[in-house]
Amino acid sequence: MCWPTVRVVEVTVNDSYLYAIILLMPLTAFMVIFQANPYHALVIRGILGAVSALVYAVLGAADVALTEALVGTMLAITLYAIAVRSSLVLRLGILREDEPEAENLDLKRLIADLHSITSKKHLRLELVPYEDRHALQQALWKKEIHATCSRLCQPEEARYETTIRVEYLYEILKTELSSPITSLSYLNLPTLEEKH
Amino acid sequence: MNLILIATIAALVIPMYEAAQDNDIWQKMLAFSSIATKASIVILIVSVLRDDWMIGVVGVIILSVGNAALMLLAQILKRLNEL
Repeated sequence: MCWPTVRVVEVTVNDSYLYAIILLMPLTAFMVIFQANPYHALVIRGILGAVSALVYAVLGAADVALTEALVGTMLAITLYAIAVRSSLVLRLGILREDEPEAENLDLKRLIADLHSITSKKHLRLELVPYEDRHALQQALWKKEIHATCSRLCQPEEARYETTIRVEYLYEILKTELSSPITSLSYLNLPTLEEKH
Repeated sequence: MNLILIATIAALVIPMYEAAQDNDIWQKMLAFSSIATKASIVILIVSVLRDDWMIGVVGVIILSVGNAALMLLAQILKRLNEL
């Protein structure tokens, strides 16, 4: 009986560099796996794309290498960067009068605290200013922002109140935010299914 | 010629190590551009060694596409730091 033999590449003594090139691929793949920061992982995914295109081209699959370079390296990374940028974000609504200026030290310190917490979780903190309290509440209800931060009318020990509508963000901030400037609260908004 | 190839592959590992251990994203981008260029150079050397035009064309395209991807990614990352 004769088995069909599939010969992809004929490795001779002269082609021993092939092993070195092919070894680079699992090396970079492990680098992608062990990367915690999503943006860093994307850059290393680009490196993996370049290396795998090299491996495919050297093994003789020029079309696969071309697809990997065009789709895997260029398109996928760009689209993923945009997706990560718009999803890994905490949009915090503030009043325009409270905007962190030089004299408003409390809010400045609070936002610096929030920034250090969110950057630990690889989240981006985006400040969205609104004209008045009504617009701020409306934006939270319409789910344009994830949280609001505004000055309390009757200041007690906490001068600001932060309302968060996303539960896991509230959990993170409740455990990590130790600032006495603000009080934290969680607002459970009805989901779309419940409304209809 | 094989020796040159082995030396290039060895040089390919240096920016990889740099990308793995550096925490600055721009250093990683530098390593990415270095690796993309070196990979296409290796493809070009192999194509000359084997006298294979098809692989050579792929090398040239990867050389230009790698830089285009780098530009796009750098533009997005720069906007990210501005916000």
